[in-house]
Amino acid sequence: MSLLKVTGLCAGYGPARVLHGLDLAVEPGEVVVMLGANGAGKTTTMRALSGLIPHTGTVVLDGTPLDGLGAPEIVAAGVSLVPQGRGTFSHLSVMDNLKVGAALRKDADGIAADIDTWCGVFPILARRAKQEAGTLSGGEQQMLAVARALMSRPKLLLCDEPSLGLAPKIVAELFEVLGEVNRTQGTALLLVEQNADLALGLASRVYLLEVGRVVAEGDADRFRGDESIRRAYLGL
Amino acid sequence: MDIFLERLFDGVTNGTVYAIMALALVVVFRGTGTINFAQGEMALFTTYIAWALTTQDVPVWAAALVACAVGFVLGAVTERTLIRPVRRRNDMATLIVALGLFTAFNALAGLLFDSETKTMPGLFPGGQEDYFAVAGTRLYFDALGVWLVVAVLIGLVFALFNRTRLGLHMRAVADNPESAALSGVRTGRILMLGWGLAGIIGSLAGILIAPLSSQQLSLTTMFPILIYASAAALFGGLDSPIGAVVGGLAIGLLEAMITGYVDFVGGALQQTAALVVIVLILLFRPTGLFGTRQMERL
Amino acid sequence: MTTTSAKPPAPPAPAPAKGGPVLTLVRGTAKHRAAVAAGPLLALVLLYLGSGLEPFRVGQLTSVLIFAIAISGLNLVTGYTGLLSIGHSAFFGLGAYTTGVMIVSYQVEPLLTLPVAAVLCFALGFVVGLPALRIRGLYLALVTLAVGVAFPELVKRFADLTGGAAGLVIRSRQLAPPEWTGLGAGQRYLWLYWVSAVVLILVIVLVRNLTRSRLGKAMVAVRDNELAAASSGVHIASVKTLAFGLSGAVTGLAGGLFAMYVGALSPDGSFTLLKSIELITGLFLGGAATLYGPVAGALAVVFIPYYTADLVSGHFSGILFGAVLIAIVFVMPEGIVGRLGRTGRRLVRIESPPQDLPEHPTPRAPQGDASEK
Repeated sequence: MSLLKVTGLCAGYGPARVLHGLDLAVEPGEVVVMLGANGAGKTTTMRALSGLIPHTGTVVLDGTPLDGLGAPEIVAAGVSLVPQGRGTFSHLSVMDNLKVGAALRKDADGIAADIDTWCGVFPILARRAKQEAGTLSGGEQQMLAVARALMSRPKLLLCDEPSLGLAPKIVAELFEVLGEVNRTQGTALLLVEQNADLALGLASRVYLLEVGRVVAEGDADRFRGDESIRRAYLGL
Repeated sequence: MDIFLERLFDGVTNGTVYAIMALALVVVFRGTGTINFAQGEMALFTTYIAWALTTQDVPVWAAALVACAVGFVLGAVTERTLIRPVRRRNDMATLIVALGLFTAFNALAGLLFDSETKTMPGLFPGGQEDYFAVAGTRLYFDALGVWLVVAVLIGLVFALFNRTRLGLHMRAVADNPESAALSGVRTGRILMLGWGLAGIIGSLAGILIAPLSSQQLSLTTMFPILIYASAAALFGGLDSPIGAVVGGLAIGLLEAMITGYVDFVGGALQQTAALVVIVLILLFRPTGLFGTRQMERL
Repeated sequence: MTTTSAKPPAPPAPAPAKGGPVLTLVRGTAKHRAAVAAGPLLALVLLYLGSGLEPFRVGQLTSVLIFAIAISGLNLVTGYTGLLSIGHSAFFGLGAYTTGVMIVSYQVEPLLTLPVAAVLCFALGFVVGLPALRIRGLYLALVTLAVGVAFPELVKRFADLTGGAAGLVIRSRQLAPPEWTGLGAGQRYLWLYWVSAVVLILVIVLVRNLTRSRLGKAMVAVRDNELAAASSGVHIASVKTLAFGLSGAVTGLAGGLFAMYVGALSPDGSFTLLKSIELITGLFLGGAATLYGPVAGALAVVFIPYYTADLVSGHFSGILFGAVLIAIVFVMPEGIVGRLGRTGRRLVRIESPPQDLPEHPTPRAPQGDASEK
């Protein structure tokens, strides 16, 4: 059974409909990437899946429908989003950011252990634990945002353009960590990326979005190899 | 020297009350992004409730507790039922609801408790002989009591913000409501609790100031307090609790010194002076002393 | 990147309104002209009928007219330009005190004081509008609040001029109708009624022309989207300050009339924040950014307190005002006149004659994918 099964997803902002019946699935432990032009509906999909905007159609996680739930309930169900543009708490310390990430958990020991874990994976967070998040560099904030999202121990981590505005070296580091999280924790990943080459390196499967629909899907290898698809859809 | 000390004490006493009223405004602003113009009148209403209870031989501290509880409920219910549905629409809708509440609560207090001035018993002994002599100036117990209560209250609020999970979530919602929701924080509940907390703080401000105010407890007691508190909150930075405290004390002292030493202002233009402060801050340093939020949002 | 796949289906055409219009009028025909003329005629007939009532009722109607002028002023800045003012009691007060002081201290003919009141209030409005260039929303409301609260204190501070807290009394001899009207001193109420009516009509014509002018369109553009307005060449600074100035001037006119109407001014009477809230209530109840909303709102703010005053002291009307203000935001944000206008447009459709129809290019179907922000 798929970890996440999305059927006929429609969503938008006010009267402006952006998604017109989108279907996708993510298997447990899988890394999936969504590619598409600006305005194809990638961010809207992420916002709908994480409960920030209402949707129609069905979203099922592990056999449990998520339709009609708000963002906190969806986090509780096991889906966590790293929103576009970081989404850290800029006036809270790094440590407090991580603690807010565990808002729904009651196991104080487990929370402390997870904070240690992620500070080990992202050593910079340990060094800057008391600093306000807003004073961190863009790359550091993105690491914090990922760690913050992981603090809820999600089954599925959604990342909306994690590489946006970051230096290539930082991006490589970030993707390495994402891959490691996926391998060691078994967390499934659904990524939105403009940087197709990078995303295809990490992902096993690809969805191609255009004006609110999936127009193509398949193994990442196929997309990597097929020059015509790359040219037509990815503008590479 | 004596008269200076006397004015200093007066300024600190008023300033502490402005400080906590400003703190109530800041707590609401951080969560909801609006100044609750009705905060003063809601506090007036709960202070009247406390007064009414004391006339029924309820001890004044118990009456104060009840008033704070009512203040909490009023604040929380107001946020949930009246503010939340219109907040997303625009600034003006929220402001108009707040103005409606301002009018309604004042009139409701007048309707239930009539317009006669009441004598609100103080939480502390307020007799002519209850004072310390400090360098030849009398520091009355009731003023000192206000200082202590306010100091404790501010300590508690800061402990709430910085030492508890609820406080952490309140700060997170104030900082970035969307990310807070994405972390699993129930932002609606947090905003409701924030308004409730502001209701408690406001009620305490009313109960502390009414026995000392020259107007005692009347329908016009709280409006000037709200004006000074707004000036204080802006002065400190609308989203900074520390700023509210510093701003409150500063405005209290400034008021005491200006009305004492500047003849042109005297007793007649007190509020105008505070308002001039408000306008100057808005024009020249909109984030106040400690504030962070850019107020120009295009 | 480019998209190569098929365009999304065009959104379905809007369903035709249920029932359709009951009456269709074609612009320029006799029927349409009659309908257009009927409004002002009816208003004149109503005004004439009103003047025949007993003096007390005429007085009430006069205060409705004066409030309608004051609210029309507020409408310019809050309704059309979208800048909430909690300080219009100050304009009302400045207008009233200008008229009062000029009559009492300088024996100026009452009617001649009105232009002075308007000019002074224009200047004050202009100054209040200056902060609007830097700040908006809540913060601008705070500045206007400051002006509104400071006004009564300033009146008391400058007691030599204004009479201070004790008030300013205009002797009724000075307010008597001029001889050419043929009205006796006892018929002052009628004189003031007609003066107020004429001023209101002038104000309505002014507002109507203003909203159709470049400035009026710029005001609405600033309200709806300041950035877009600025980028399409609207000079935000002059629009905001002019809107505040004109708004202040019109409300100041109402203040001047009010001084002539009551004959006695006191700073804590009619010029406090409560007056501002009354004006705001009237505006939103009647219908913000509508031409006749202020008239409907004025009727409400004059008659609601009057008919509820007997219920339980004056406080009941305060509660009612507050409740009405909140209720409008929830159930009828467009106000009475806004709602009536909408219903009216559903029932009566006004069409341009066929030959005037411009060549419409075929409208393009909007792209289904809005920006992702």
